[in-house]
Amino acid sequence: MSTSSARKRPEAEEKTLTGELRTSPPRTSTKKQLPSIPKNTVPVTKPASPAPSSQSTNGTHASYGPFYLEYSLLAEFTLVVKQKLPGVYVQPSYRSALMWFGVIFIRHGLYQDGVFKFTVYIPDNYPDGDCPRLVFDLPVFHPLVDPLSGELDVKRAFAKWRRNHNHIWQVLMYARRVFYKIDTTSPLNPEAAVLYEKDIQLFKSKVVDSVKLCSSHLFDQPKIEDPYAITFSPWNPAIHDEAREKMLTQKKSEDQHCKSMHVSGLSWVKPGSVQPFSKEEKTMPT
Amino acid sequence: MAMSAGNCTVASYITDHSYFCPVLATGLSALYSSLPRKIEVRGDDWHFLRREDWAGVASLALFMNSLEFCSAVIQVAHPLVQQQLVDYVHNGFLVPVMGPALHKTSVEEMIASTAYLELFVRSVAEPALLRAFLRFILLHRHDGATILDTLVARLGTNSRLCMVSLSLFRTLLSLNCEDVMLQLVLRYLIPCSHVMLSQRRAVKDLDLYGRSAAKFLSLIPRCCHPESLPPPDRDEEHATWAKGHGSPSVDTSSVVTVPKPATPSRLSFFMRQQSASGAEGLGAVPRSPGLASPASSPGHRPPRWEEVAELDGNYLEYLRDARLSVDRCAWACRVWSAPYDGERPGPDSLAPTPAPALPISPDHFGHGPPTPRTKKRGLPEEAGGSSAGPGDSRPLPAPDAQDPGALVNGAPESGRPGGGAEGAVTVKKVRRCPQAEREALPTENGAPQPPAPGWEGPSVDSLLDELLARAPAEPNGAGLSIESFSEELQELEAAMRNGGGGPPRAQLPPPHAEEDEAEDEDEAFAAPPRPADPLAQVLASPPRALGPPPSQPFTGPFVAVLFSKLENMLHNSLYVNVLLTGLVAQLACYPQPLLRSFLLNANMVFQPSVKSLLQVLGSVKNKIESFAASQDDFPALLLKAKKYLIARGKLDWGDTPNAAPALRRSDTLVKSRKPSLGELLLRHTQSPTRARAAAQLALQQVREGPVLQALAGAGLFRGAAEKQGEALRVKNAVYCAVVFTEFLKELAAIAQAHAVTSPFLLEPPEE
Repeated sequence: MSTSSARKRPEAEEKTLTGELRTSPPRTSTKKQLPSIPKNTVPVTKPASPAPSSQSTNGTHASYGPFYLEYSLLAEFTLVVKQKLPGVYVQPSYRSALMWFGVIFIRHGLYQDGVFKFTVYIPDNYPDGDCPRLVFDLPVFHPLVDPLSGELDVKRAFAKWRRNHNHIWQVLMYARRVFYKIDTTSPLNPEAAVLYEKDIQLFKSKVVDSVKLCSSHLFDQPKIEDPYAITFSPWNPAIHDEAREKMLTQKKSEDQHCKSMHVSGLSWVKPGSVQPFSKEEKTMPT
Repeated sequence: MAMSAGNCTVASYITDHSYFCPVLATGLSALYSSLPRKIEVRGDDWHFLRREDWAGVASLALFMNSLEFCSAVIQVAHPLVQQQLVDYVHNGFLVPVMGPALHKTSVEEMIASTAYLELFVRSVAEPALLRAFLRFILLHRHDGATILDTLVARLGTNSRLCMVSLSLFRTLLSLNCEDVMLQLVLRYLIPCSHVMLSQRRAVKDLDLYGRSAAKFLSLIPRCCHPESLPPPDRDEEHATWAKGHGSPSVDTSSVVTVPKPATPSRLSFFMRQQSASGAEGLGAVPRSPGLASPASSPGHRPPRWEEVAELDGNYLEYLRDARLSVDRCAWACRVWSAPYDGERPGPDSLAPTPAPALPISPDHFGHGPPTPRTKKRGLPEEAGGSSAGPGDSRPLPAPDAQDPGALVNGAPESGRPGGGAEGAVTVKKVRRCPQAEREALPTENGAPQPPAPGWEGPSVDSLLDELLARAPAEPNGAGLSIESFSEELQELEAAMRNGGGGPPRAQLPPPHAEEDEAEDEDEAFAAPPRPADPLAQVLASPPRALGPPPSQPFTGPFVAVLFSKLENMLHNSLYVNVLLTGLVAQLACYPQPLLRSFLLNANMVFQPSVKSLLQVLGSVKNKIESFAASQDDFPALLLKAKKYLIARGKLDWGDTPNAAPALRRSDTLVKSRKPSLGELLLRHTQSPTRARAAAQLALQQVREGPVLQALAGAGLFRGAAEKQGEALRVKNAVYCAVVFTEFLKELAAIAQAHAVTSPFLLEPPEE
């Protein structure tokens, strides 16, 4: 639904993400497995990367105008959308491109049914600064989540933020992964870590409580007031039926919409060929 | 006709037993022959036929009606009829009439026929018919060279012919047609031989952090920075600009209504920052744990904003336009057969699998990596010939026997197996010559060399040497006039006709029409004679003309000629520069990673022999700066030039009749947008036809209008009376500085837009 949230952005009014909708988005490919870590992700276990990219040293952000910052973040967001992380949705804030609202749906595992809202804070000297920070609205019971602030320990995965190698979608993917693969080393929440190691049953029940707590606060007003903040509301047919309908039919209508908007290109090149007019005639899409 | 669509019998009756199709198609030929040979030119900025240009010309209107009728018939008729009519148009009109017309000996006639062709291509909406036109342009060989090559070569000229050709290519690029782009540029980039081996994988990389944009913006000449403007005028200048682009609030609203980009907050964020009330907008940023929000770090804001302010406030507009253009182009290109990302088609795809029965000897590929040209040439016309109609009787040059090129070129072909390939090989050889011509031609003309194409045979080099040896003998120096140029052009044409450019291409007598040409050119917009220009001489020096050794990468004649024109920007007329930069910007909007990385990626490392766009622009920057340094009153001139360009834009936008041509394609091309002040400077790419046309018109009127007199009266171009040439040179250079600066912003914006193109546009269309 990161896709649909992006689609909705033009309509600024649409701020509501209904909890019920989470079953309906056209995400048929929700595989219940972790995506493999891309090669360029810094390994979690290896905090200090020996060879920081040369680009990170030169080209300080001071020489970049705000246009670059803005577009860098826009490009990062585009990458997130392309990534289609299952169950992870983000939306940049209206007021600052440096703050993104997000929500993670956990679909299986210990944290199954968890719906965790969070906020990503991006340093203003991005991409030359530290790694973005990710703070859950409610401190989830998790070894890597600070029990007071709700901040996720992102740093351990991105000890050094390397432009061109590290991207915000990786942070989001990391945030999703910690709920599927529990890591207890040097925890922010030692209690959770110890319980996980020593008393998994108690850990599980604490997790269930935490998930319930989060769900019970689902309909709360967003922690940060912003027109683009993600809010949940109970199903209201008056509003949501229409939105749902729109979502389900969106692809098609958008396609047509675009067709009328854009000039279609031409091609008579047979796929696989590099000769002009190699395609047989009359197969031209108009 | 419509009935035939559903009734095969009717259709086959029409095709087999009636003369409907031949009559219709040859009717075009007849009507074409009655078109004016020479187009009455209204101003020195004229470069394409607008509707109001041709609607009043009875013969042209008649032709256009007839063409539209053909188009309509093809649209509704049965495929049989459609096919037959398209074939007849190709074989009965384009090949026998349009082909020779484009190769007329007088420049005037070339201009007219090129303008007609542009009008036709722009007007034909029916894909099947358009296909015939494009196939004609891309594949048909007239006297040995494809029409495309001939047209590309003419971009290198320095006259109205260049402008008309530029508009033709603008129209071709606006089609977003894979076949066109393949032939023009992509096929030269597919082998990836232009990038360092280690860089090949970087072709697909997106420039996420605006490095390329920063690089482009850094090339804005120092003398064009606002702080270098004379202080008293500065405020005034800014006032004009501000008015042109609306107050921030106006801009914000228009930004919000942009349909696709979906970043209202981002953009309005900027607007707020620029406006006086910016602080409070930022102050509203919610407190967040430890977030160093922009508002919380005002310390390093001011310098940055100064940097943006220096963009004269219109960079946002460029960003918005670039976004639209790139998105639109990406969307249009989704019907293409391949992404052209360095992998599909693979770098080798041009070499081993050319058209079946390709008569290229193995040793043709023997020396080093096969150059693109080899492959291109190896593309026999037959490749597209499956659809060529029965009457397809192209005047191919006769085989080897009478082809002087055969001798020159003998060596590589020696190992060629089989004799069935004669024809194609001939074609191959012949095609070298225009290339050689093109090389030599600008030398004599004092224009810079197009970056030399890749030669693959020593024989060509010898031919080239011969041409070069001849070059100094030409009365170049002071005599690099239009006359000598058009003479060269004649020779070029003649050489092509002779099929090889060997010995027989002795001087033709200058054609009768030439004086007219020259006169016209002189009075109009030809670049001033600049024999003394050291740069031009350096550029024209023979060593560069030798070109890279055979195995060196070559990015294609189209890119070569565009780059060489760009390098010469300082001397081009304002109109040529506006068209030229528009064309390059159009090219830069294409999303194919091969093209995008070649033009826009500042991080890319190319082979040493490959010139990058940034290098070219860097040299222009230096030229402008040294010109500015030599011109005491440059700041004042620049300011005036800007002001008057803006003023003219404002003055004339209102009255400019909608230049949109009537037929259908134009509707999509010409997006209606509100004319705004400074439209010329903000060279809107998404409405090339109208925006530029209007700008041209505006400029023209300004030029001749009272403003110019005021300008002259103000003693600005005071040399005009005594030393017209010098005045023209100064004027071109000053206008060039303005256009160049805007062009860099446009390119920077396009580079940024590529990183944020919506991924939805790139997804395959839903079934």
